[in-house]
Amino acid sequence: MKLIFEYEEQTTGYLSDENISIGLPNELIRNELPLPNVSEIEVIRHYTNLSKKNFGVDLGFYPLGSCTMKYNPKINEDVAALEGFRNLHPLSKENCIQGSLQLMWELEQYLKEITGMDTFSLQPAAGAQGELLGLMIAKVYFKQKNKKRAKVIIPDSAHGTNPATAAMCKYETIVIPSDIRGNIDLQKFKQSLNDEIAVVMLTNPNTLGLFEENILEVCDLAHNNGTLMYCDGANMNALLGITRPGDQGFDMIHLNLHKSFSTPHGGGGPGAGVLGVKSFLSDYLPLPRIIKQNNKYIFDNTKEKSVGKIRSFYGNFGMLVRACSYIMSWGSNIRKVSEHAVLNANYLLSLLKEVYDLPYNRKCAHEFVISSEKFGEKSALNIAKRLLDYGFHPPTIYFPLIVQEALMIEPTETESKETLDRFAFVLRSIAHELRENPQVVNGAPYTTPVGRLDEITAARKPNLRWAPPK
Amino acid sequence: MDFIPTTEKDRNEMLKQIGVNSIDDLVKEFKPAFTRKLNLPEPMSEFELIQHMQMLSKKNIILKYFLGAGSYNHYIPSAVNHLLMRGEFSTGYTPYQAEISQGTLQAMYEFQSFICLLTGMDVANASLYDGASALSEAVLLSSSYNRRNHIFVNEGLHPQYFEVLKTYCNAADLELTNEIDDKTSCVIAQNPDFFGNIENLRYLAERAHKVGALFVICVVEPTSLAILKAPGDHGADIVVGEGQSFGIPINFGGPYLGFMAVRDFLLKKIPGRVCGMTTDNKGNKGFVLTFQAREQHIRRERATSNITTNQGLMALASTIYLALMGRNGLNTVAKLSYGRAHLLQEKLVGAGFEALNKKPFYNEFVVRAPKSSKKITSSLFKKGILGGLELGDDKMLICCTEMNTVQDIESFVSVIGEVS
Repeated sequence: MKLIFEYEEQTTGYLSDENISIGLPNELIRNELPLPNVSEIEVIRHYTNLSKKNFGVDLGFYPLGSCTMKYNPKINEDVAALEGFRNLHPLSKENCIQGSLQLMWELEQYLKEITGMDTFSLQPAAGAQGELLGLMIAKVYFKQKNKKRAKVIIPDSAHGTNPATAAMCKYETIVIPSDIRGNIDLQKFKQSLNDEIAVVMLTNPNTLGLFEENILEVCDLAHNNGTLMYCDGANMNALLGITRPGDQGFDMIHLNLHKSFSTPHGGGGPGAGVLGVKSFLSDYLPLPRIIKQNNKYIFDNTKEKSVGKIRSFYGNFGMLVRACSYIMSWGSNIRKVSEHAVLNANYLLSLLKEVYDLPYNRKCAHEFVISSEKFGEKSALNIAKRLLDYGFHPPTIYFPLIVQEALMIEPTETESKETLDRFAFVLRSIAHELRENPQVVNGAPYTTPVGRLDEITAARKPNLRWAPPK
Repeated sequence: MDFIPTTEKDRNEMLKQIGVNSIDDLVKEFKPAFTRKLNLPEPMSEFELIQHMQMLSKKNIILKYFLGAGSYNHYIPSAVNHLLMRGEFSTGYTPYQAEISQGTLQAMYEFQSFICLLTGMDVANASLYDGASALSEAVLLSSSYNRRNHIFVNEGLHPQYFEVLKTYCNAADLELTNEIDDKTSCVIAQNPDFFGNIENLRYLAERAHKVGALFVICVVEPTSLAILKAPGDHGADIVVGEGQSFGIPINFGGPYLGFMAVRDFLLKKIPGRVCGMTTDNKGNKGFVLTFQAREQHIRRERATSNITTNQGLMALASTIYLALMGRNGLNTVAKLSYGRAHLLQEKLVGAGFEALNKKPFYNEFVVRAPKSSKKITSSLFKKGILGGLELGDDKMLICCTEMNTVQDIESFVSVIGEVS
C-alpha cells in the first residue's frame, strides 16, 4: 500500500476564510511545510485498509505470554469518552475536577485492597516507568538513610526491563539462577545477600508461569538484610483475590493496568504502570498525591521526601478510567478472573505437554512455558509463523531466556474451551507437520499480507522515514 | 458484568482433563492464601456502570479554556476517533509479529516521517510517554553519547518538565548546572518557551557545539511547527516534545504523546521502538520493528532506557490527525491560534493589562493584570471561562487555540471590564 505521503494533491476540508497575517520576523518562520493534502474520504480509506492488515484481540486468540491479551470490554471506551472526563483541562481548579479526583482516589483504594499495599501512585505511564519509579524510590530511601547500597538482585527469568531499569538508576545487577523447580535458587540467593543489596526485583508468578514457592522465606531473608522487595506485577492476572503481594512481603509493586485490568494495548500503548508501596515508603511517592478531606478531594504537594514527578500532570488518566470501570464491573467477584485465567492455562498445558517439552513439571499459574527444542533450532520461530496461517497470534517466543526454543503461552480467562481446544489441536498438528513435512512449517506463513520480512537489511540499511523527492 | 465464557460443564471437563477436583486445587500453592472476599463494591451491570460513571464525570466542570501550559485544547476531527476505535488497531499489542501487524507498522513509519518533516530532523522513534519524560530520555541519551554528566537548562522550560527532568537526573547521577562548559552533556531550550516566547536559538546551538555538548530543543505546543522554523534549522541535535496538540484530547493530562527525533549520528542511541521499511521473501515492501536486539535483550544491563510499551495508539491518533489536516489544515490551525492569541492580547492591553512578553510569541503570552488576577479568574469562572494560569498575584499565562472564537474573546474582555 502506498504511504499517506504518496497521494496526489487533493482539496482538504479543515480550512478557514479568516485572513490572518503572521507578523513574525523571517528568521523565526519556516519557508515550507512539506506535508501532503489528502481528502477525508481518502484518509479514511487509507487507515481503514491499513487496519485490515492487523491482528488484535477483537479478531482472534492472542496468547502472547506475559502480555495478558484479554478481551477489552467496549463499555470502558464509552466511559473514557464521557465529555466530563475527556474534555477536562489538567490545570483546572480543584472545584472543577472533583469527579476525576474521586475516580482516581477510589481506584487507589481498590488497588490497595487487591494488592495488600498501603498507598498507590497512579502517575507512571507504563510498567517500565513504574519499575523506574520503584527503583528511584529505593535510591532516595537509602540515600536519606545514609546507606550506600548499589546493587539489585534479579533472577535469570526476569523481564528484560528489570535490569534495564536498574541500569537507569546506576544500580549494578546481580543475576540469580533458577532452581530445578523454576524458583529463585534459595542457596545462591542467600549467598548473594549482603549490605550492598538495595532491592530484590521479583516477578510473581515468575515468567515461567510458576508461583515462587519460597516467596515468604525470600522476603524474610531480604528484610532481615535491610533490603527492599520489589514485585514486578506484570503477572497479577493470576492472583486477584487469591493471594496478595503485600501479604507475601513485598514492599513495592507496579501493576500494568493494560494487562490485568484490561485497558486496550493500542498496538503498543498507552498503558499505565501504577505503583503501590507499603506505608513506610508512602512519603516517597511522586507529587501531587490525592487526599480526601471533608468529602472533598484535594491535591497534596507537601511531602518533602517525595522523589519528585516522573511525568507531567497525573498519569495516563484515560487508562485509569478504563481500569476503574473494569474493576467496578467485576467488583467483589474479581477473584473469578484469576481462577479462570489459571484454569485455562492449566487446561491448555495439559493438552500440550505430551507433544512439546515442559521444562518444569508443575501446575502453572496463568501462563506456562513449553519448549520445542526437540524439533530443532529456530523451531519456536517457525511454529509461531505457522500459527499465523491458522489465524492465531503466536505465543511469546524465546522468552524467558533460560528455556531453549521457548513458547510462552497465556490464554487469559476470556477464552472459551472451544478456542483452547482448537488452538491445542492446531499446535499438535504443527508438531505433526514438523515431524512429517518440516519445510511446510519452515516456509510459513503463506496467508498473511506479507511473507517473512528481511530484518537484517532493515537494520543494516535503515529506511525509517519518508522524505520529499529532491 | 462477567466476561468469562466458560460454562459449568466446560469447567468440569477441563478440571477432569487437568486431573484435579477443583480450581482451588490449582491455586493451593499461591501463598499466603487470601481467605476473605475482597472488599470491593458490588459487581455492576453495564447499565449501572455507565450511570455511575456519568454521575462522576458530571462532577467535573468543563469551561472555555484560555489555558494551555502543556495541554492544548485543539479541535479533533470526528474521523480520528472513528478510526482509532477499530479493534484492529486498538486491541493489538506491540507489533512483534510483523506479518500480521503491517497496519500498525506502516502507521508508525508514517508517524516517524511526520515528526521528521515537522521538526526538520533525520530520524524519529515511534513515541515516548509524554513530553516531560521524552525530555528526560533525551538527557539520558546525551549523557550516554558523550559520557558527560552536566545538564544546562535554558530559562523558560515548563516547570513540570523541569520537575520530571530533576527526578530522572537524580536517579542517573546527572547534575543540573548553570554553566555551559566542557562538562556539559547537553543544552536544553524550550521553543516556544513556557511563557510563549519564540526566539532564534542558533546562538545557543553554537554555544553548545563549541564545548562539544549536544543541543536539545523541546517543543510543547507542536502546532507551532506549522509556521515556525523547524528546530532542526535552529541547530538541534535532538528534538523532543509533546504531541498532544495533534488529535489527542486534553483528558485531564493523559494519555499524551512524547516524541523524539535526532540527527543521523545519534540513530543507534534513540530509545524506544523504531519502525523500518524492508522487503519480504517475495520482494514485496513491508515494515518491521528494527534495532530490537539492543537494550532489552543483549545489552540490557548497560541500557540507558527501559521503555517498551509506549503510546502507540496516541501516535496513531496524531498520524491520522496530521493526515486529515494536511499541510493546509495544520497551517490554518496554527494561524488561527496565533491570530486569536494576538487579538486577545491586543484587547487586554486596551483594557489596561501590561503585555510582558519581550519577544515574539505564538499562541501563549503573559500579562500583568491591573487588578488581582484571582478576582479576574473568579469573575471569568462565573461566565464559564477558565482565563489562564495564575503566575503569582498579578500575572497570568493565557493561551488561545482555534477553539477560542472571536465571540469568546469578546466575552473574556467584557468580563474584565466588569471586575471592580
